[in-house]
Amino acid sequence: MVLWQLGAVFGVLSLLSFGGGNAIVPQMYADTVVQHHWIASSTFARFFALGRLAPGPTMNMSALIGYAAAGFAGAAVAAAALFVPAGLIVYVLGRMWRRLHGHAWRDRIAAGFAPVVAGLIWAGIPPVASGAITAPATIAIALAAAAIVLTTKVNQALVVVGAGLVGFVLFR
Amino acid sequence: MRVSAWTVARSFLWLSLTTYGGAQSAAIRREVVRHRQWLAEDEFLELRSIAMIAPGPNSPNLAILVGLHLAGTGGAVLAFLAATVPGLAIIMAFALLSLDPRLGGVSAALRGCAAAAVGLMVAGAVETTVMRRLDLVQLAIVAASAGAVTFLHFSLWLTLLVFVPIAIAVAQRADA
Repeated sequence: MVLWQLGAVFGVLSLLSFGGGNAIVPQMYADTVVQHHWIASSTFARFFALGRLAPGPTMNMSALIGYAAAGFAGAAVAAAALFVPAGLIVYVLGRMWRRLHGHAWRDRIAAGFAPVVAGLIWAGIPPVASGAITAPATIAIALAAAAIVLTTKVNQALVVVGAGLVGFVLFR
Repeated sequence: MRVSAWTVARSFLWLSLTTYGGAQSAAIRREVVRHRQWLAEDEFLELRSIAMIAPGPNSPNLAILVGLHLAGTGGAVLAFLAATVPGLAIIMAFALLSLDPRLGGVSAALRGCAAAAVGLMVAGAVETTVMRRLDLVQLAIVAASAGAVTFLHFSLWLTLLVFVPIAIAVAQRADA
């Protein structure tokens, strides 16, 4: 039962994950935390952070949510449901590539998605913050991380590791 | 150029084990355009633009398209697996470690990581909004779609259904 739900939730997210993975964060939170209660808000924030820390797309966090909901089978189902449907669409587009070649409509679609994806990324901040911003020190860490990423070229995974060291010292 | 599916997959396996902190498409470009010279720059940009308009994270999408282009369906499948499975295994290992109660400090460290992740999201939102040089109408669409999700609890499909056609119409008008 849970496996079917995981497949349905992440399968729909996969088909709607335009603009990379970050645009689906608000819906992923609504489905997995608010509706199905598979994980707590604070766990969602931690899984999201692990997604940023590990290699590969942030949306690898789907496997962690699946694991929390239904063990290793849940992890496999959630990850497959998140990656395979979108992958099939890309495969089909790739096969049609030569026929699609050089059409202006592609730029127009991209231009159409850009502002909506940006809006969805902004909308992903409150759900993650609700589980992560729990003390004054966490606000300082978040602001510092944002400032570092916006003003330097430091690798983002290193920023997360650095914040982990700060957290280890402050919150232990 | 025609390359064996295993050769393509080996490149993506290496990339997926070594590319941390985003910037995956830049790393893929370095490997397939500069290092291996499997694709010309314009071919890569073409595949990247398809990867970006299709749903799904960019790096597995690029793996599928590069694999398909160089080695057919087998190349697409193997490159996709090479681009996704190692990262999933690593994140599972991280998560299992973090759930181990004997490692008490890990939970404290993860609180710090989660706070930083909020900062990374803010930075990502600022970058996608400010650095794309959106015009005022597009900025209004950014604000309207963010507001619809946050305050009116619009679902993802409804948000896309309502705002993407508006944004495409706006982009078309700007072109004309």
